[in-house]
Amino acid sequence: MVTDSSSRRAKWVLLAYRLPREPSTPRIAVWRKLRRLGAAQLLDGLVALPLDSRNREQFEWLANEIVEASGEATLWIGELTSAAQERELAAQMAAAIASDYRALVEEADRIREESPGSRRRSLSRLRRELRRIRARDHFPPPEREQAQRAVDSLAAFVEEIVA
Amino acid sequence: MKWATRQHCHVDRAACAWLIHRFIDQEAEFVFVDDPEEVPADATPFDISGVELSHHGGECSFETFLRRYELDDPVLWDIARIVHEADLADERYDAPEGPGLDVLLRGLSMIRADEELLALAEPLFDGLYEYRKRAILLGREPS
Repeated sequence: MVTDSSSRRAKWVLLAYRLPREPSTPRIAVWRKLRRLGAAQLLDGLVALPLDSRNREQFEWLANEIVEASGEATLWIGELTSAAQERELAAQMAAAIASDYRALVEEADRIREESPGSRRRSLSRLRRELRRIRARDHFPPPEREQAQRAVDSLAAFVEEIVA
Repeated sequence: MKWATRQHCHVDRAACAWLIHRFIDQEAEFVFVDDPEEVPADATPFDISGVELSHHGGECSFETFLRRYELDDPVLWDIARIVHEADLADERYDAPEGPGLDVLLRGLSMIRADEELLALAEPLFDGLYEYRKRAILLGREPS
C-alpha cells in the first residue's frame, strides 16, 4: 500500500531571485539580510526558510526590496518530496549554526583572559552575538545550550571578579 | 476613512494604526484581510506587500507613513527607529527597546484579536511617545 506521507513533511518558504551584478550595494544588503535570517542557500538565487508567518513575511519584504533594486523575485511555498533530503537540509542548517555557537564558546573562554574592564564590555558584545545567532537558528543543535551555558558562566565569572 | 491591513497584527501594523489614529485620521476605521485581494475598494491598504504604504528601500511601513504624510516630528522619527528594530531587527539603528516592544506586541497578538490588540496598543504607544518626547527635551532618559 502506498501511503501519502506528504502531510508529515515540513513546509518551506522559498525565495527565487535575481539581482543585477552592478551596483553591488543592494546585492550586499540582500546577502546580509539572508544571513541574518539564517536562510539556506539552495542554489545561486534560490534560498529557503522553514515556513512560518514571520519567515514568510521577512522574505516578502526582501522580495520587495529586490524588485525595487531592479531585480526579480518570486516567493514559493514547497516541500521536499524525499524525507531523506529534508533531513539532510535541516542537518546542513543545524551544522552551520552549530559552528557559530562553537565559535561563541571559544570566544567566551578567550574573554576570561581579558582585563576586568574589557571583560564586561566583551560580555555585552557576546550576549548580543548569542541573540543574533539564536534569531537565525531554525534547527537548534545541542551547541545552542552549550553556548548559552558558556555565556551564563562568563557572566557569573565577571560578577565574581567584581564582587 | 477606512484603512486595510493584513490580519494577525504585529508591531509595525499596530504602530501604523496608532499613527493613523493619532496623527492622520481621527475617524480611522480598520479592516483586517487574509489576502491582499480582499482589500475593500474604499479602503487604503498599508503594510501589505506591494502597496505604497508599506516597506520600501529597507524601511518598515511606519517609516514610510512618516515620509508619505511628511510627519517631521522628531519624537515620531525616534519611535520609528524603535519600530524598525522591533519589526526588522537588522541593526540599522541602535534601538535596544525594539526587541522588548516586539515581544510585548507578539504576546498580545497571541491572546487578543486584531481590533482589541490595536486598542490595547494605543496607550502603549501614547506612553512611548511621551517617554521619548521627555527624553528628547531633557537630553537624557526621564525618570
